[in-house]
Amino acid sequence: MNPYITNLLILIAIYIILAVSLNLALGYTGLLNLGHIAFFGIGAYASTLLTQAGVPFIASFIIAGAISSIFGFLLVYATKKLRGDYLALATLGFNFVIYSLMLNWKSLTRGAAGIPGIVKPSFFGFTIQSNISYLIFVSVICIFCIYLMYLIVRSPFGRLMQATRDDEFGLRVLGKNTSVIKYKVMIISSFFAGIAGSLFVHYITYVQPNYFTLTEIILVLTIVIVGGIASLKGTIIGTFVIVLVPELLRFLPLGSSVLGPARQIVYALILLGILLYRPRGLFGRADLQ
Amino acid sequence: MAVVAQLIINGLIAGSIYALVAAGFSLIFSTNKFMHFAHGSSVVIAGYLLFTFFSLWHIPFYLSCLLTVVLTGVLGVVLHRFVYLPLEKKNASTVVLLIASIGLLMLFQNLLQIIFSASVKTIGYVQVAQGVSLFGASITPLQIAIILLSFFLLILLYWFMKYTALGRNMRAIADNKELAEIIGIDHIKVASLSFFIGSALAGIAGILIGLEQNVYPTMGTMLIVKGFTGAVIGGIDFVPGSILGSYLLGLIENIGIWFIPSGYKDALSFALLFIFLLFRPQGLFGINKGVRK
Repeated sequence: MNPYITNLLILIAIYIILAVSLNLALGYTGLLNLGHIAFFGIGAYASTLLTQAGVPFIASFIIAGAISSIFGFLLVYATKKLRGDYLALATLGFNFVIYSLMLNWKSLTRGAAGIPGIVKPSFFGFTIQSNISYLIFVSVICIFCIYLMYLIVRSPFGRLMQATRDDEFGLRVLGKNTSVIKYKVMIISSFFAGIAGSLFVHYITYVQPNYFTLTEIILVLTIVIVGGIASLKGTIIGTFVIVLVPELLRFLPLGSSVLGPARQIVYALILLGILLYRPRGLFGRADLQ
Repeated sequence: MAVVAQLIINGLIAGSIYALVAAGFSLIFSTNKFMHFAHGSSVVIAGYLLFTFFSLWHIPFYLSCLLTVVLTGVLGVVLHRFVYLPLEKKNASTVVLLIASIGLLMLFQNLLQIIFSASVKTIGYVQVAQGVSLFGASITPLQIAIILLSFFLLILLYWFMKYTALGRNMRAIADNKELAEIIGIDHIKVASLSFFIGSALAGIAGILIGLEQNVYPTMGTMLIVKGFTGAVIGGIDFVPGSILGSYLLGLIENIGIWFIPSGYKDALSFALLFIFLLFRPQGLFGINKGVRK
């Protein structure tokens, strides 16, 4: 297969896990989390540091998710009284705090220089070297993650999530503890973001704080909003659309210094266009409140 | 002693800049009730407008400044009319408006990067001057001008809000939109005007920052986060509060590096933002008690 296509498909698989997990919190449960990239980053750094310390890949991969989960719980617990845009901004602030730590805690993260030479995944004595085998590996994990998240949203718990979004007060009247529902959702959502981070850095074998900025937040947010709130199918299709559409820019005669910003402009225009003209996205089933 | 005086002066300079950003942001928030994050773009666009007019086209400096401030104000009105107002008419929630404003921030940042490249641009009106000594600390004439001009503008803004008819209308809308409409205040007109004045203030901030620190495309994000943090500390919907909060932020940041490595300066202000949003979202001086609705 064309290496360019393989690379895009690997990134799409990773972004699907990231975006679908954001939709669990943002879309299904109505938790306005703008700090999702922080969990992606925490998972990325955790997995990097663990494998460098000699922990096997599989264990690092799972622990990376678990560490992200812990931060996810702490974030939702700390912000449990906040609603609406105040919650959105506190989670955005959390993202900035994590970013500053990545940049400044140099003894741990090596700061802006980043950490090169991250090992490729290996398990049972088998190492994934070629991009084709990485694509197969990441696709299997991606499909498994989507299946798990599908089971979650179709379960009675999934209906509780959506009820929390639509009428939290009513759910409390019925005797459900909506705080506990939110804690569980954030633990699940940030776990998947963490393992997506692990898959990302073990693919590109390098990590730096600049992978986890406002630009990346806009990217996943655009995917979720374009695909539609509370729609797994929408997020999956949205990921393909959002990753592939800016690739068309490659066919234009643009210099490499223009290509990066042009891609961001396309994301921003798609986001604004969707919010203005089709606020529910492709398959959305609820409004962003 | 000299070091303490220097840290306080640095804090006041940073605080003045944050206050100019925060005042406009807070003015727009108070009449519109949503977070105009793209306000950071207005500041950085003003810096680039001044660079274009003065450094590239050699228009006289004060005329360049005037053009910059007016055009930045007009940009604010255009964003309000063509992005925010259509969204509000569709009953979009404030979160949707917030996300749209972050989208605008990214849009402008990357447009600037394409037009002017990512490199730092120097406006070069003020020559690098020898600092004068003040209590053993060094401060340049431009920095003194920044502090004094900020004080003057912010007092002017306070006077405008308090004593002019338009300022009263703005405060009326901020306080109770329905009631203000009943007595015949056109809220869309007032909202547009607050976008104009708030963005023009961002224009002045952009000029001063451009002269002091030069301009580069990504500075808008950093500035709005700082201005916003200052506003949250002081009380986001109360303009004088957000100004005081910004000076406080500037001082805390600069005195804080006495105790912690200077690389953590930004982390310190993000942590402050986070702590205030968690424990006191109405800020130190905020009047609105209904923010945790």
